[in-house]
Parts: sequence; structure tokens; C-alpha cells
Amino acid sequence: MPRREITYLQGIREGLQHVLRTHPETVLFGEDVAAFGGAFKMTTGFLDAFGADRVFDTPIAESAMLGAAIGMATQGLKPIVELQFADFATTALHQLLNNAGTLHYRTGVPVPLTVRAPCGGGFGGGPFHSEELEAIFCHMPGIKVVYPAFPSDARSLIVSAVLDPNPVIFLENKFLYRHVKEDVETDIAPVPLGCARICRPGTDATVVTYGAMVHTAIHAAETVAHETGAEVMVLDLRSLKPLDTQAILAAAATGRVLVLHEAWRTCGLGAEVAALIAEQAFHHLDAPVRRLTAPDCPVPFAPELEAAYRPDEPTVTEALLDLLET
Amino acid sequence: MNDRTRPNRDPVTLLRIMMISRAIEERLIRLYHQGKVYGGAYSGVGQEAPGAAACLAGEPHDLYAPLIRNMSVHVGRGAGPHHLFRQWLARASSPTRGRDGNIHHGDLSAGVYPMISHLGAMLPVVTGGVMARRRRGIPCIGFGFIGDGGSSTGDFHEAVNFAAVFDVPVVFIIEDNKFAYSTPTSRQFRCANLADRAPGYGIEGHRADGNDALALLDLLARLADDIRARPRPVLVAVDTMRMRGHGEHDDFAYAPRELLESYRARDPIAVCRDALLADGRLTDEQWHALEASIRTEVDQAAREVAAEPAPDPRTLLEGVYAPS
Repeated sequence: MPRREITYLQGIREGLQHVLRTHPETVLFGEDVAAFGGAFKMTTGFLDAFGADRVFDTPIAESAMLGAAIGMATQGLKPIVELQFADFATTALHQLLNNAGTLHYRTGVPVPLTVRAPCGGGFGGGPFHSEELEAIFCHMPGIKVVYPAFPSDARSLIVSAVLDPNPVIFLENKFLYRHVKEDVETDIAPVPLGCARICRPGTDATVVTYGAMVHTAIHAAETVAHETGAEVMVLDLRSLKPLDTQAILAAAATGRVLVLHEAWRTCGLGAEVAALIAEQAFHHLDAPVRRLTAPDCPVPFAPELEAAYRPDEPTVTEALLDLLET
Repeated sequence: MNDRTRPNRDPVTLLRIMMISRAIEERLIRLYHQGKVYGGAYSGVGQEAPGAAACLAGEPHDLYAPLIRNMSVHVGRGAGPHHLFRQWLARASSPTRGRDGNIHHGDLSAGVYPMISHLGAMLPVVTGGVMARRRRGIPCIGFGFIGDGGSSTGDFHEAVNFAAVFDVPVVFIIEDNKFAYSTPTSRQFRCANLADRAPGYGIEGHRADGNDALALLDLLARLADDIRARPRPVLVAVDTMRMRGHGEHDDFAYAPRELLESYRARDPIAVCRDALLADGRLTDEQWHALEASIRTEVDQAAREVAAEPAPDPRTLLEGVYAPS
């Protein structure tokens, strides 16, 4: 099988192209996505390839975009909505939580809707272009949340998200868009929603993480292995809801768990993972579950402040060394 | 264009939809005061005309987004008293299987979206539904309902503007019923009439008497035919009056008596009945027979539904997600 290197952005792009090509009931819309190709050039060329009735720009109206997408999803289409930044989901949360998330429960009518939401910091986006809102999304019944870390997973999971009969929020880490590359096969391997993946094996400790922090964790684990010989497992959650609880509990068998995310700490996903392990895998633990997260403050702009805000390789390495000595 | 000879635009049917809606809601109000309705009781008594007229103006493949005062849309799109009592009495057989209550229901197979409580939120939904149906070659139009209070929301603006930009054929009907819960219209908008907002969206605005069902049917039928042929949204602001409190728990003390009386004198069912009696399209005998049959049907449905089983708590988690 021939292989070639693609970026994370290319992965999502190719997955979108695949699903638009193979499923005529898909439509893609959002702000600046058509002729302009999107703020991150994710959809460059899509307008020409798929036509103006399937790829189109909308007014700056997140609630109308998501509301219209819900209406479309109930009438045979599979809409893919691009939020220019995940941060802007907050102007339409009621459409996600109350309309999209409740419709099937209330009426039995599926809502096959995918919301693409570029998120995360590390590039000077400041408070309103860097937010990680996955905990808010995961709190909503009836919604699925996906957050890939690798180009291959991004390519596969966007296809799974679009074809799922439920509303799926597909979080795309902006920092990873062009920073992460991977050799992939030509064919898109199916990856189901709700399945985590061990992306670095290890027996001495576990990092449970997702998104950009997966790569930070892998680098930190390499450093730890080099310095101490300890082997740290890195579990990439890939889907945040449904959460792969079996994989998390199995990964906790190393006895030492660090949960890592670049989202805020209080009521973040780390709290959920730590609680799950405490409830169901306490007997495995040799040390308390640790959380390494962003602090509970708005995402700061200045590089010095953002560097202090966002977990990075040295802080993860330090946390792992500390955990291994506990 | 304005073809009342089409069977689905029959004025006696218009009257009948309003009468059934009124009878169901009056029965619900009674059940509420007897302590038999779980939760609140909200009605559209006095506001039956716009929904009934919109149903007759539309076609079977059209889409509707009714709100709290639009029982007549459910009735007009074929929901019978059993369906509606099951919902209000939270039976296992309710359209939401007991998962949602009172006015929060619909029937997408009949083109009726189930409302959520967030006002304005259904307007983009019906707009998107119409876009999708038309993309499939169905000459669908939509009817989106909102009140004077709901017209203050950002969603109202987003949806009307969105529909205007994409030339989506939706009739946005604002029922100005003078109060949003207890808040008078003076705290909702500054324009003289809500139809005045239409030019700001680049669309037509119409004013109508919300208590004259026959005139509303004329207007909505004309608009429906027109936007089906030449797709674009239109705004219709109807003048009407909420005749009861926000819900039955609300004593409505804030509503001036003389205002209520002025609208009571123009009750939409009486206005429509009198017009039809006056020009011979309805006889006294037909009127009395209609009244009696509706009363019997509604009473019987209420009795039968009350005896139906409640939802099984073991179904609590069923249907949160559609099976993948």
C-alpha cells in the first residue's frame, strides 16, 4: 500500500472531501468557507469541486447556522457546519444543548449533524480564539464529542462523525493543523467514535490525554524514558463522548495516572477521568490520580503569559517524574 | 391565486380547526384546575386564527414551527385530541413518550417541528428544513411562529436575516398578543408595528387582524402561493390578544379589563362563524352539529387518554442517542 505524509489539516480536509464525494446528502457551510476556503484554508477548492448548493457561506449568525443545520438534518441532509472558532459556539449553545441534543430523545427523529470547531491555543489567539470548550460540550446529553490528535485519526474520525446519526462536535486543534504530520495509507481506515488508542505503550505510568497534549505527552514520555528508563503509556482518548471507559480503566493498571488537558481545570474532562478511575480502578492505583491542566483563567495573549498558562513538555515531564516517585 | 374553492382552503374547515383547538384547550384548562395535568397549562385561547389559517394556506409537504399559543397548527396538521391529551397528560403513548410536556411536541411526519422553550430557536430550524426539502426538489415552504416577546430575541433576527439572504420561502408570523408573560409590548419594541421591521431585512411586511381568520386565510394563502412560486421570506405581524394568563397559574391581573373585553368582543371563532352564517356558507344547524360533535369527540378522548398507562421508568435512558 503506497503511503504519503499528510498534515493534521490535510487529514481533516481529505476526510471531508471523501464524505462529500461519497454522500451526496452532505452539505458544508459556515463563515467564509466557500470561495475563501475557510479561515484556515481547510475547504479551499471545495466550492468548485462540490458546487454552490453544497458548499456555501452564511451570515455571521451561529445560532441560525446551527438551527438551520438541525432543520436540514431532520429532512434528509447531513450538514457539516464549520464554526470559524470553537469559541463562537457559545453564541449558539442553546441550539446544541436544547435543540440538537434533545430532539431524538423527545421525538425519535435523528439529527445527523456535524459541527467542526477549531479550538485550542499556543499561537497567540488570546481569550476568544483559543478556548477549549469540550467540557461544556461533553456535559450535554445527546451530543457526541470527538477530538483527534493525529492526521490519520482526524481523517477517519471526521468521516465517522459525519456519518453518525447524532449531533457530533468535531474539535480540531488549530496548533496541530500544520505542526503534526504522519504517513498515511491511501485508503481511509474506519475508526469508530468512542474508541481511545494507546499511542505509546508503557507499564510504569499512564498519561490520559487528547488533542495537542497527546504530542506533548509523547515527547515528555520520551524524555522520562531517556532520563529514568521508566516507560510511560500515553492514551489518546480521541472521542470525549462517549468516553472509552474500558480503555481508561485498563490504562489505569499501570498504577500511576496523570490526566492532561489544555482546557480549564474545574469540572474539566480530567475531573471526569479521575473520578472514573477512583470509582472503578482504585485498587490498581499506587498513587493518587494527578491532573495537569490549564488554570482557571481566561486564555491570555502575551506569549510569556500563554506559555505559563498552557501545559508544555517541561511541565508534563516534571509532573511525570514527580508521579513516578510518589 | 386566492383560491378558497380548493378543498384544503374550505372556510368551514378553518372554523372547525379553531373550534377543535379551543375545545381541547378549554378541556385542558379544566383538567389543570382539577389537578389532573402534570406541570403547567398553557393555551392559545383567542389566538386560534393565525395557526388555522396557516395550515389551510399550506400544502401537505410544507413545514411548520408552532409555538406555545399555536394549538391550532397541531390540530390543522392532523393531530387529534388523543394525541394532544396524551402529551399533556404525559402518557407512555404521548408523541414525546412522556419525555417532554405540554406544548413541547410536534410531528415531523406531518411537517410540524416540536418547539423548545428558547424563543426564536425554532425559526432557523424551520428555515433549514425548508432549504433541505427544496434541495430535494420538494416545493416546500415554511411557517414560523413567534410572539411579540420572541421577536426581541437574537434568534428571530438571525433567522429572518438568514432566510432573506438565501431567499428561503418562509412566512414568519409574529402574533402580537400584547403581553410576553407579564411584560407589555412597550418593553419589547419601539417601532410602531412589528411589520415595520421587514424592510430592514429587505423583505415584505404585512399587517393583519389576527382575530379575523377568513381575512388571514386570504392573506396567508396569497403569500404562500406567491413565495412558493417566487421563493423568499415574508413577515406578517398580526394583531391579537392573549385571552388568559401566560399559563393557568397566572391570574393575569396585569391585563387591563377594557383591553380584554375589546378582544373578547372579537373572538376569532365567533367572528368567523358569524361571517359564514351571514353569507350562507354555514347554517345554524351545521354550527350546532359541529359544536356538539367536537365536544363529544374531545370529551371522549380526554376520558380514554386518562386511562392510558404512564411511561415506564425503565425507558428513562432510551433514545438519548440514535443508534449508530
